[in-house]
Amino acid sequence: MTPVLEATGITKRFGAVVALSNGTLSVGKGEVHALLGANGSGKSTLCKIIAGTVARDSGSLRLDGGDVSLKSPREAEARGIALFYQELSLVPQLSVADNIFLGHERTGAGGFLDSKQLRADTEALIARFASVAGSGFTADAPVSRLTPDQRQLVEILKVLAHKPRLIIFDEATAALDRRQVELFFTILRELKAEGVSTIFISHRMDEIFEISDRITVMRNGATVAAFATSETDRDSVVRSMIGDVAIRDRVERTVPASTGAPRLQLTGASNRRVRNVSLALKPGEILGLGGLQGQGQSALLQGLFGALPFTAGSIEIDGKPVRIHKPAEAIRHGLAYVSGDRGRDAALHGRSIFENIASATMVREKLALVWPRNLKPRFEAAAASLNTKYDGMEAPIGSLSGGNQQKIFIARWLATDAPVLLLDDPTKGIDLGAKADFFALVRELADKGTSIIFYASEDAELLSLCDRILVFNSGAISAELSGTTLDSFHLTNAAYGEVA
Amino acid sequence: MNRIKTILTDPLVLATVSILLLLGIGELLSPGFARGDQIIRLLVVSAILGMVAAGQSLVVIGGREGIDLSVGALISLGAVLAGNAMSGSDGGILPAILVAGGVTFVIGLINGLGVTLLRIPPLVMTLGMTGVVQGGLIVLSRGIPSGNAAPSLMGFVNRPLLLGLPGVLFLWALLGLGMWFLLRRTQLGYAIYAMGSNERAAVLTGLPVKLIRTLLYGFSGLLAGITGVVVIGYTGNSFVSVGDQYVLPSVIAVVIGGISLAGGSGNYLGVMLGAIALTLLQSVLTTLQLEFWGRQLIFGGVLLLLMLLYGRTKQLRV
Repeated sequence: MTPVLEATGITKRFGAVVALSNGTLSVGKGEVHALLGANGSGKSTLCKIIAGTVARDSGSLRLDGGDVSLKSPREAEARGIALFYQELSLVPQLSVADNIFLGHERTGAGGFLDSKQLRADTEALIARFASVAGSGFTADAPVSRLTPDQRQLVEILKVLAHKPRLIIFDEATAALDRRQVELFFTILRELKAEGVSTIFISHRMDEIFEISDRITVMRNGATVAAFATSETDRDSVVRSMIGDVAIRDRVERTVPASTGAPRLQLTGASNRRVRNVSLALKPGEILGLGGLQGQGQSALLQGLFGALPFTAGSIEIDGKPVRIHKPAEAIRHGLAYVSGDRGRDAALHGRSIFENIASATMVREKLALVWPRNLKPRFEAAAASLNTKYDGMEAPIGSLSGGNQQKIFIARWLATDAPVLLLDDPTKGIDLGAKADFFALVRELADKGTSIIFYASEDAELLSLCDRILVFNSGAISAELSGTTLDSFHLTNAAYGEVA
Repeated sequence: MNRIKTILTDPLVLATVSILLLLGIGELLSPGFARGDQIIRLLVVSAILGMVAAGQSLVVIGGREGIDLSVGALISLGAVLAGNAMSGSDGGILPAILVAGGVTFVIGLINGLGVTLLRIPPLVMTLGMTGVVQGGLIVLSRGIPSGNAAPSLMGFVNRPLLLGLPGVLFLWALLGLGMWFLLRRTQLGYAIYAMGSNERAAVLTGLPVKLIRTLLYGFSGLLAGITGVVVIGYTGNSFVSVGDQYVLPSVIAVVIGGISLAGGSGNYLGVMLGAIALTLLQSVLTTLQLEFWGRQLIFGGVLLLLMLLYGRTKQLRV
C-alpha cells in the first residue's frame, strides 16, 4: 500500500545552521505515527516543511505517491494536511461555529456570511464527537462559556473542519492532564477509524507507546531509526535517540557532599508551572534539574526565589519553616538566583559594575546607606574569584563581554555570601573559557559548603557537575538520578518518561 | 577624536557652554544683563525651576516612562494653600510649609499609586491629576487671588541673606547636596537607578520597586508644593494658575541635565545647570520682547532638539 505521506532526504538550513540534514518519514493511511527526538533534533522543522510553512532546500515530498511542492500552509491545507496548534487560538467572544470557521467563512449570495450553512456544518462536526462533547456544546455557544476540555475540542474541530487526511499534532498533549489526554486519544482513535493519518509529537514515552502504530526517531537533524511500536521497547527507542555518546562522563568530586541535615527542604510545592514538588538540598550539594526544556525547572527556581511564588507547599531552611513571597525575602534567607537571560533578568544597563553588584548586597544586608569605599574591596574580591576581566568598578556593565558580564552577575551573589545558589541555565550564550571558569567556581563553592541547585538545558553540563539530578516532566519530578543511574541513558529515558 | 566627542556631548559641558553663551548674548543685546545683581536675580528664578525639576528628575530616573505633569498644578496648589495659611504674617510660615508640603505629598502618592497599582501610564495619570487639582483650586478659591506671603518669606527669597545672596539660593544648594546624597549614598538612590535601568532585574535583586515608584511621585509632589511656597515668597501673592508655566521647563531642565527620559541615568547637578541655562534662555527671549507664544515655541523646539541629540548619543553608548 502506498503511504499517504513519504518524505525522503529532506534538508533545510537557516543561514549557517543546518536544521535538517536528512528528514525521512513515511506515514501510512489511518496510521498514528510518533515522531521523537531531543530539542533541536529537527522534528519541528520537518513538520513545518510538511505543513507548508517552511520551504525545503532539497529532498522529496510525496503525497499518495505523487511528488508535491507545498509553497504555503493554504496549499498544504488544500492537499489535506493540517497542523494543530496547541497554543490556544480561539476568540472567546465568538461562538463555537464562528471560531471553527474563522478565516474560512462560508459566503452565500452577495458575499454575505451564510450563517445557516455555517451552523449546519458545525452541527455535523459536533455530532461526530457527541460522545465526548459534553453538555452545552452547541454551535451557538460562546467559547468563553465552555470548559477547558470543550475548548480543546473546538481547537480540534477547527482542524477537522477542513477534512484533512493527515494531521500533525506538535506536542498537543503537553498542556493536558491525564483525563484530557484520554479524551484526546479517544478522538485520535475515531479519526484513525475514519482513515485519517496523524503525526504525533510528544515528550511522554508512555503516551507514545499507548497510541502510536509506528515510531520515527530523529537526532541532530536526521532520521536515525524507524520502528513498528509493537515490535520495539522503550530502551531501544531511547538508545537510538541518544546515539553512541559516552554514557558516563563525569568527574567525581573530591569532596563528597555532606550527609548532614538538609539546608533547604521543599515539600509539596506548586505554582503556575510546577506541581507538588518536594526536594531536600544538603550543604555542599550540587543538585541538578534535568529534563526537556520548559518542564518547570526555571519555574521551580523562581518559586524558591519568590519571583513566581509557590501557592501551595512549604519551605524549610536549616530546619525552620520560612515564607518566601518575593525575592527580597528569599535573599534575606540566603538564597541567590542567577538567570541565563542576563539582558532581561540581571543587567542594569548603562550602570557601573559597582552598581550592578551592589543591588543584592544592599538588600541582603538591609544597608540604608551605601559607602562605595567600604564595599568595593568585597566586590573586587568576588569578581576576582571568577577570573573576571574588567576595567575597574566604575566601568559600565556594557563594556564587558557576555561571559564576563555573567561573571559579574554571579559575583553579585558571591558578595552576599549566599549559602544557597539557584542557577537557572546560567551558561546560556557564554564562551567556553567563561564556562570552564564557571564550572570550576561552582565546584569550589560546593566544596566549601554552598548548596547549589543547577538547571542546565545541556545534559552534558548536568552530568559532569551534579551529585544528583531531579528530572522534570510537565511541571513535576518524574525521576531522581544518582550514583549508577547518573548517566545520559537514564537522563534521556527519564526526560521522556511518564510522571511517576 | 572620540574623546573630544565624548566631552562635547557630556551634558554638564553642554549646559555650562550654553550658560556662558546665553550670558554673552544677553550682555550683547542689553548691556548690564550679566551684572552681578542681575545674575543673582536669575539664579533665584533658576532655583525655583530647579526645585520642581528635582522631583521631576527622580520620577524620570525611576523609569517606566516616568514623568510628572501635575507639578504645575501642585505648585499652584502649594502657593494658594501657603498664601492662605500665612495671610501675610510670619507666624504662618511653618504651618504654610506643612500644609502645602503635606497636601502635595499625598497627592503625589496618589499619582504613584495610580501608576503602580492601577498601571495607568504616568503621562495620563499626572495629566488627569492636573485637571482634578486645577478644578479643585478654582472651586476652592472661586478664581480670586487669595492669601499673601509673610514678609520674612519674601525676604528669604528676594533679599540678601549671606554674602549678598538670598536665602533661597542656599536652600537650593542644600537641595543639591541632598539629592547627591540620596542618589549616590543611599540604598533608595541606587534602587532608583536600578529600577529605571531594568525593572525586572531590580525586582530580582529584591528591591521593592512599586513602593519606591510610589514614593518618587510623592517626593515630586512634595517638592512641587514646597516650590509653590517659594513662588508665593517670590511674587508676594498667589493665583490659581501660577504654577502652569513650570511644567514644560521642568521636563526640559531634566533633559538638558542629561537625564534620559528612558530612565536609569543622569544626576541632579546637570539638572541644576539645565535650570540655569533655561532661565537664561527665557530671560534672553524676554529681552528680545518675544511674546508668550514665541517662548513656548522655542522651549518646545529646544526640548525636541535635545531629544534628537541625546537620542543619538544613547545609541552610540550601548
